[in-house]
Amino acid sequence: MTVDPGTLTAILVMAAATAFNRAGGFWLMRLVPVTPRVRRVLDCLPGAVLVALLVPGAVQGAVKGDMGMVGGLAAALVVSRLTRSDLLAVVVAMAVAAGIRAFWG
Amino acid sequence: MTKPHPAPLTLAGMAEGARAMLPLMPGIAAFGMAFGAASIQKSFTLLEATVSSAIVFAGLAQMVALEGWTQHWTAGSLLALGFLTLTVNMRHVLMGASLRPWLGTLPAWKSYPALMMMADNNWAAALRYRAEGGNDVGYFVGSGLITWFVWVLATAVGHLVGGGIPDPKAVGIDLVVPAFFIAMLLPNWKGKREAVGWGVAAAVSTAVSFVLPGWWFIVIGAVAGALAGGFTDDDR
Repeated sequence: MTVDPGTLTAILVMAAATAFNRAGGFWLMRLVPVTPRVRRVLDCLPGAVLVALLVPGAVQGAVKGDMGMVGGLAAALVVSRLTRSDLLAVVVAMAVAAGIRAFWG
Repeated sequence: MTKPHPAPLTLAGMAEGARAMLPLMPGIAAFGMAFGAASIQKSFTLLEATVSSAIVFAGLAQMVALEGWTQHWTAGSLLALGFLTLTVNMRHVLMGASLRPWLGTLPAWKSYPALMMMADNNWAAALRYRAEGGNDVGYFVGSGLITWFVWVLATAVGHLVGGGIPDPKAVGIDLVVPAFFIAMLLPNWKGKREAVGWGVAAAVSTAVSFVLPGWWFIVIGAVAGALAGGFTDDDR
């Protein structure tokens, strides 16, 4: 059980960067008066972050021919629309992706 | 300015948040084990890998940083590593900003430690919980703590098990987090404002992902979408 000083320094640099990111936006919003307009932008932020995380990955997956990824995401979309259950969406998406990859992978 | 009533932070809320994360745990465990196993290639000791997951607590950034990991750190390479980590996880700046109206009601000695538990999945789940009328910050903290705990434990297990881990893609583990995001996203749909905001976020992030290297596409797409949605006036 040893820790190399160089590696430890690198890990601490990363930890400082992630802590800065976690606290930075929250801290910054102290200085921004929350007008109704700012409030609306903040309300739209969660959905926009999720879409920006999801869609490029799905498109890149489709471009690379990863039909398991595309099929799994489509299944998650349908299941969560129909059932509103995140557990079901996750399980069905995994099953569909694994199935497609097993047959065409 | 009148101070808003502080949001509660209870053990019951923490337990509820932790329970809500259970469907995600196989995915987080698999990802953590993959990091633990991959870190062996870069000569991480068990302690180094575990400490990294415990205090960095950012799966994507840790994985990406591993690509360029070296045994001989210089001021220049440390600076580059810091900058890489900042950009890969810059979405956390936006996510933290979106928590201001909620966590901002708490004193700083509670809100800032709570923010250190912020990961994509517990942030998304907590905001859905709040959109449905919840107000207990414990939900955010509890869902973050269980994510952190499983992430750190899985890193150690992955490092111990080493190369014997089956390909996570074959069983669809890589779909766990995106499928969960979809389930968190859909209930937010209310009409025109989302159509514009999400459409712009999708188009801009995808376009940027093809044009710019790195991880800028998340932040640029998200900011563009939030502004477009926030400046769309409908009858709400």
